[in-house]
Amino acid sequence: MSGGYAFSKKLLLCILLFAFWVALTATLALYDLVLGAICSAFVAVITVSLLGRALDPRITPMVLLRLPVFMVRLVWEIIKANYDVAKIILNPRLPIDPRIVEYRTYLAGDLPRTVFSDSITLTPGTVTVDLEEDLLKVHCLCPYHEEGLSGLEEMVAWLFGEKRHG
Amino acid sequence: MAQNIVAGVFCCIGTFFFLLGTTGLVRMPDVFTRLHPSTKCDTLGACSVIIGMAVYSGWSWDLLKLVLIACFVLLSSATCGHAIGRSALKRDIAYWRKDRKEVEDGHGA
Repeated sequence: MSGGYAFSKKLLLCILLFAFWVALTATLALYDLVLGAICSAFVAVITVSLLGRALDPRITPMVLLRLPVFMVRLVWEIIKANYDVAKIILNPRLPIDPRIVEYRTYLAGDLPRTVFSDSITLTPGTVTVDLEEDLLKVHCLCPYHEEGLSGLEEMVAWLFGEKRHG
Repeated sequence: MAQNIVAGVFCCIGTFFFLLGTTGLVRMPDVFTRLHPSTKCDTLGACSVIIGMAVYSGWSWDLLKLVLIACFVLLSSATCGHAIGRSALKRDIAYWRKDRKEVEDGHGA
């Protein structure tokens, strides 16, 4: 990476962060603007190396179009799982049988796998504790929570337009 | 008036789930199982409170801030839960089993 390229990237990130700052503070007072400029420049300098990894070629317009539908489906799954875990917590006998299951995903690439493991963690009853290549270690509160994993995987595969193979 | 009632209902649902999450945090036996109620707090609890506040504030600039807060809470809660679970696994912390025998090897299942 040449010096000029890195600088233009930093500048782009700094402008984006500054726009974000102005949107959040919602004022144009000089003090706020100066403070925001200093902060966004500082953050841009220390996080510019993360920007290259965040811009994944897998983020296509189709993915962005499907994202709201995916979010709605994920929220529905989360609500169902929340209801289920609430019943377990309020049950005086605390009927849990936790175990760590290993799950091999067919999703390829870092981004779909990250989205998949984040979705698992957001859904109560399952937490992703490790992710190595295509092998996920998932801690389940009850054995039947494991059954929801393949449904989530289908959702993420649909989001990124991936097909099951093998 | 109706706006206030809807906002209040959402906030009550949210606080109820926070209460449930905290109860679960106290009742669960080990670090892995405690992660489950805490993700519950963050997802449904915090999000319902935020929805309630969004309804209360109406179409204003605060709505954007609330949506952003919801996004960041969801992202950081998932990452944080994963980080705690992973570090517990890497330290070979035995996880609680139903038959009251703790598994010596944290990787075994």
